[in-house]
Order: sequence, then C-alpha cells, then structure tokens
Amino acid sequence: MLSYIVRRLMFLPVVLFGITVLIFALISTLGPWTRVATFIPSPDAERHVDLEAIIRKYNLDDPPLKMYTRWVNNLLHGNLGWSQSSHMTVMEAIKRRFPATLELTLFAVIPVIIGGILLGVISSVYHNKPIDHTTRIMAITLWSMPDFVLGLAVLMVGYGVLGWFPPGRLSAWAELEVLKESFRSFTGMHTIDSLLNLRFDIFWDALRHIIAPVFTLACLWWAFMLRITRSSMLDVLNQDYVRTARAKGLAENVVIKKHALGNALIPVTTVAGNMLLGLLGGVMIVETVFNYPGLGLLTSTAATRLDVPCVVGVALFYAIILVLVNLVVDLLYSVIDPRVRLE
Amino acid sequence: MEIFRRLVKNRISLFGLILLLFFVLIAVFAPLLAPPKEGSDPYRIPRRGWTLEPTPPSAKYPLGLTQGQYDIYYGIVWGTRTAFRVGIIVITFRALIGIILGSISAYYGGVLDEILMRFTDIFMSFPYLIGVVVFVSIFGPGLNNVMVPLIALGWMPYARMIRGNILAIKQEEYVLAARAIGVSDFKIITRHILPNSIFPVLIQASMQIGSIVISVSGLSFLGLGAPEGYADWGQMLSFARNWMLGEQGNVLKYWFTVVYPGLAMVLFVLSWNLIGDAFRDIMDPRIQA
Repeated sequence: MLSYIVRRLMFLPVVLFGITVLIFALISTLGPWTRVATFIPSPDAERHVDLEAIIRKYNLDDPPLKMYTRWVNNLLHGNLGWSQSSHMTVMEAIKRRFPATLELTLFAVIPVIIGGILLGVISSVYHNKPIDHTTRIMAITLWSMPDFVLGLAVLMVGYGVLGWFPPGRLSAWAELEVLKESFRSFTGMHTIDSLLNLRFDIFWDALRHIIAPVFTLACLWWAFMLRITRSSMLDVLNQDYVRTARAKGLAENVVIKKHALGNALIPVTTVAGNMLLGLLGGVMIVETVFNYPGLGLLTSTAATRLDVPCVVGVALFYAIILVLVNLVVDLLYSVIDPRVRLE
Repeated sequence: MEIFRRLVKNRISLFGLILLLFFVLIAVFAPLLAPPKEGSDPYRIPRRGWTLEPTPPSAKYPLGLTQGQYDIYYGIVWGTRTAFRVGIIVITFRALIGIILGSISAYYGGVLDEILMRFTDIFMSFPYLIGVVVFVSIFGPGLNNVMVPLIALGWMPYARMIRGNILAIKQEEYVLAARAIGVSDFKIITRHILPNSIFPVLIQASMQIGSIVISVSGLSFLGLGAPEGYADWGQMLSFARNWMLGEQGNVLKYWFTVVYPGLAMVLFVLSWNLIGDAFRDIMDPRIQA
C-alpha cells in the first residue's frame, strides 16, 4: 500500500513536467509583451515603461531551455507570476480565492451525495415503476440543463422575483465586519469562520449568498449521481448473491441495505472523485453567473482579459489537486472493495 | 437496425429521436426559415436597431430582440447549425485521434504502448475546462480556439476504449489467421480489427455531442467562444446576463432574452441524452426488465 502511494506520488512530478512543457510551448508562440508578464513575478510588467529594459533585466531573450528551467525554478519556489487582472501575484490571488471555491464545493457535495444515492436506490428498487420513471425523467432533464441556463433561472427567481438569495459572497456590511481585526479568520470559509467567531448574523448573511450557487451546482451533479447509483444498483440487484439472500427469506429491506448497497456503492466512489473535480472546474461558470468571488471567477475574468500568468497558475494548481484527489479515490476504492489490490 | 427498432419502440427515446429530427430539420432549412441578407455572413445575427435595451416579442419579431437588437429567432435558427457543426467537428476529431493512437498502442504493445498510455495519463490529469481556458487566454477567444483544445483534451477516453477492445480482439482466431498468412499490419488493423472494435466507440462518441455543445456554449457565455453577434446560443445567453433582473416593479420584463435561447439549448441537449440513455440500456444486456 505504502509503495503504491509513493509510486503514485512520483507520478505527480511527471504530470507537472508534461503540463509545464505543454504550457511553455504554447506560451512561446506569444509576443514578448505577454511573455514579460508570464515570466516575471512583479508589478514591473504593469508599468508600461521600457519593454527593452525589462526584457534585458529579466533575460527574456535567453534560449528556450534556459527560460524553461528558470520558469520551473520560479514555480517551485511558489513564484507563479504577476496577475494583471487582479493586481497581485498569482499565488496571492489563488490563496485568497481558493477558500471561497472550496466552501462552495463542499456545500454542494453533501446534498448531491445524500440525495443522489438515496433516490438512485429508490429508483432501482422500483425499477420501471412510476417512481423510477419520474426520477429518471427529472434527472435527465436536469442533466441536460447547461449550468449557465439553470444558474440564470435560479438567479432570476431567487433574487429577481423573491429577493431571497442575492449574488456575491457577502453583503457590504458583512464584508467590512470580516475584514476587522476582531474577526479571526480560521479557514477563509465565511460560514465556518463566522460560526467559530460566534457571529451568527454574518453566518446568516454568508448562507443566504451561498445557497443559490450551491443549489445550481448540486442540481446538475445530483442528476449525475442518481444515474450512476441507479445503474450500479440495478446491476447488483440482478446478481446471484442477492437472489440467494432473498431465497434465504431475508426481508427485502435487509437485502438492499446489507447485501446490495455496499457493493453498488463501489463504482459510485470513483464517480464521486470525478464529481469533485468536475465541481471544481464547473464552478467557473456558476461563480461567474452569481458573481461569487472564487477561483472560477478569477479564472474566467483572467481569461477574458488575456491574463495568461493567472490562468496558467490556476491550471497548475488544479492539476496538482486532480492528481491528489485521484490518488485518494484509488485508496478509498481499495478500502471499500477488498478485491482490489493496489500494486 | 434492430437497435433503431428498439429506440423507436421505447417512448422516451422516441421522443428524443423526434426532438433531434426537429433540430436537424431546423438546421437544414435554416436559409428558408430565417433568410439571411444577400451577401452577408449568415452566421451574423442581423440587428434590427441600435438601442441597447431588448425589445419584447412582437408580430414582426416573434421571439423578440435581445441586447443590441439582435434578432433572437434568427439567432436560434442559425445557432442550431452552429451547435451541430461544433458538436460534430469536435466528436469526429476526438474519435479519430483516439482510434489512431488507441489502435497503434494496442496493436504494437510493448514500449510504444507504455509511452502512449503515459501520454494519455498526462493529458487526463489536466483539468479539462481549465485547459481550454488556458488555450483561449493564450491564443485569444473564438469558436475555433475553443474547439481545438476541446479536441486535444478529449480524445483520451476513446483511445483507452479502442485499446481495450483491440486487446480483446487481437487474440481472436481470425486475426491470428490473417497474421499467419502474412497480411500486413496496416491491413490487419484497418480491415480486421477496427471494424470489430470501432462501433461501440463511435456510438459512445456521438452521444457526447450534447455535452460538448454545453461546454462550447458555456465558454461563449463567459465571452471566450463565439464573438458578439455570432449565431450561437451561449453567446446569446451572455447578453441575457445584463437584463435578467429586469427593472424595479417588473423583474421579469426581459424574460425572453433568457427563456428562448435557454429552451433551445436544453431541448437540443435533452434529445441527445434521451437517446443516449435508452441506448445504454439496450447495449447492456444485464439491465433487462
């Protein structure tokens, strides 16, 4: 097991090497101006002064190999470059925005997993009955709903008509409160921090802001989860050991809970990993719709302003998370399914 | 044919097929349904005025005019063509790359297989949508600049599937027999192996068209895809962003800017998903009621 983890972690540098080479090759096709911003981690790039001087100062006319090694060296020291669209270093921007996105994702994962699995099981137990048809049609309709269409609709109703769920992350007054000295920041996630600070008014405000984007994200992935659980359950319910369990005279509810569900959830674990990654990527659109200042909004703003260093930094950050999450999923997989031997 | 018969027999997938046919007809007869002006690019939505504020539906413009007086009806009709074009191009190239790399990898095996599969792993560890955004931020927005990375970051599952299928087929007697009588590698791959392993992959691929259209429209919505005024559903919805909250006392005033393009998108994607869902049940012999 340990050697497996080590070997998988060793794959991380390989992946990062591949990605950095790929990105470097793409960037090399750019004009010198954008390159300046990509390779130097300071606001110098913003003052449109003497381009020649900057190029000389940072040796930007070096041969590609030398540039690449220097760039990677910078990356390894946490130097991701200067983001023109957010006026700070990319590292700083990611550090500030990531908690918001993590908060959003965590909130969305809970209803998706609970609701998706529950309804998936119900749907499979009543296979081809009216309940099954209804949930299936609901799921497939939601799954066909592009996130921005659903998001716009939710915003229109939840904020425009009802006035309950405003866009953004906090109201202006709460924003000021959070920045005060007396408010201690533990995680950067406002809902949790406000509870730890015993500020229930801020908690309520943060909650009001996060519900609409969470709902939008959850709807889409809930449908996905339901479909996977359903087909996996159907598969298991047709297995011989389930028939044996029934033949022994066990109550149907015991058969489902004790014999079928555990095995049916195995493929669901893999999917849950993919879902977490999909959520992290999918927040780009949802955050933009709801003007929620997380990594997704950072990326999409940066991309529309052609702020390459920022987008590249976020991409590298995501790549690391992706490899780590996949590793965790594989490990979980071996815990849940004893037939899986990690080698 | 048997598969088609069963798709028609199932009420849900029949609905999907009808819906899809409807969109195909719209795309084919677009020049009749919404005739473009002589000599202008048909994919540019005509503007019926210059004020910014959307105009509600009227007898002349049945679906209304969105921000900048772009004709919503025209945009939806020609946007259908854009949707099909984008979906089909992306899928074709993904499947093609997947088939080529997957079959090389499986047939030759050994070091080449190992290298190609590591390559696949690296591409798979790249967050898909973020990868597209990286590409767009470097090369600038545009429909083509969105499609290229979608292809480049989307072929891996097909390569893996083809590889798996071929590895299974490679040991079949007819392939061994062909090799024994000295048929060339290329001919064995194209004549004997691919026709027997390609079908499920192509089906799987075509069912992805719906989700590709969502991705591309989403990027257009963010302002990274189709340029302003291009007949693309996502681009039309990005206009709606500024107007969906209406005005004081009448919040739903501009509902048509969201509802019509949104409806077109949802139904288009739904048609593919309904067919795909029924298809999966048909292909999987274990799930038979």
